[in-house]
Amino acid sequence: MDNFCVFILTHGRPDKVFTYKTIRDKNYTGPIYLVVDDEDKTYDQYTNLYGDQVIQFSKSEIAKTFDVGDNFNDRRAVVYARNAVFDIAKKLGYKYFLVLDDDYTDFRWSFTNEKKYVTNKYIQNLDKIFEILLKFYKSTNFTSICMAQGGDFIGGEGSGLSKTFLNGQISRKVMNSFFCSTERPFQFVGRINEDVNAYCYFGYKGHLFMTVAQLRLEQKQTQSNSGGLTDIYLNFGTYVKSFYSVMYNPASVKVRQMGQNNKRLHHSIHWDTTVPKILSENFKK
Amino acid sequence: MFKQSTLDIFDTTEEELINTVYTKKVEVPVYVPKYEKPNIFELFNHKKTLELLQNIEKSNLTIEEKKFLTLAAYRHTVLYFDKIADYYAHSNKEMQELMEQSALVIIDFDKAIENGFAVLNNELSNQYLEDQNG
Repeated sequence: MDNFCVFILTHGRPDKVFTYKTIRDKNYTGPIYLVVDDEDKTYDQYTNLYGDQVIQFSKSEIAKTFDVGDNFNDRRAVVYARNAVFDIAKKLGYKYFLVLDDDYTDFRWSFTNEKKYVTNKYIQNLDKIFEILLKFYKSTNFTSICMAQGGDFIGGEGSGLSKTFLNGQISRKVMNSFFCSTERPFQFVGRINEDVNAYCYFGYKGHLFMTVAQLRLEQKQTQSNSGGLTDIYLNFGTYVKSFYSVMYNPASVKVRQMGQNNKRLHHSIHWDTTVPKILSENFKK
Repeated sequence: MFKQSTLDIFDTTEEELINTVYTKKVEVPVYVPKYEKPNIFELFNHKKTLELLQNIEKSNLTIEEKKFLTLAAYRHTVLYFDKIADYYAHSNKEMQELMEQSALVIIDFDKAIENGFAVLNNELSNQYLEDQNG
């Protein structure tokens, strides 16, 4: 895979960059860079551990380039790093890149070839998987594609993503793992819920995003891996988080109560009013 | 079940169309338009927008403020992209081109998505076997 690298976004936990070890263990052999902001007090520890694989960016500089959607001052959010990677890739000379968070512990298959939902089939060769995904990405005009995440399959075979896949449809979301190109730039917007905001806001305008449901990454449980983004989520709660997406797409994103035992407010996307349909060219006159 | 009169927009017979597009529904992530052209008023819901516009008009704000709020009010217009795609399929060339420019539909030119998706699925399927047998 020429012209391709992996970025791992991380902050304040140099000893807990689980993703690095996971993707090496899963046979990804290409270049990896850890993206760390200049307000991170543990920067020296990162460089001690990872040397010139650590890339630092200025949070205050990148903050000038996009809309955070509020007038708060709390910059403990990943949106700055997400937007910084496009320029970093350019400077490093990479056209294609994959952006990952730092808390991934495994990569698995979600379905057998017979479309049976599974949780215990392990991906062995990430070099090959990334190559396949990159080939698809290059051959189409998707703005970004991603792998699914374990949380997408809450409910197992009855989960929303599973049903979407088994019905032969695609999920127009992108979260957590972003295949990107410097030639297909887009911005993450909103201080938090920036991924949802982005795929709704730009999806509404015709950008194509997709989750590849057959592949899934597994993460540390959000609140068990201290540091990183955990604090800002605990402070704001899901109510405020979800409303960022409503602000950006008031006609199609709502906030509603979710969960059975652990009830919480969460964004709810009405897909038929959020993203334009993909049509065969056969219908064009 | 389908009205043949609504098929005259397509350069193919009903049978061919079903064979080429409709039967691929499970394999290809493209939307299959309905045979009926919807009424244009079915493509959107602007109830909230109209409420906002009435309130803006009744307000004592400056013209500039009213203009801004008027532009912002259209963010609340709900667009039904399934109906919009149905409408596109039955529209004339001029309407289709303007709908494309406004990204109201996404056209899969040269079957890039359709073919790319088929290759993706095949290659993932092969890799799955390799992973399980390796």
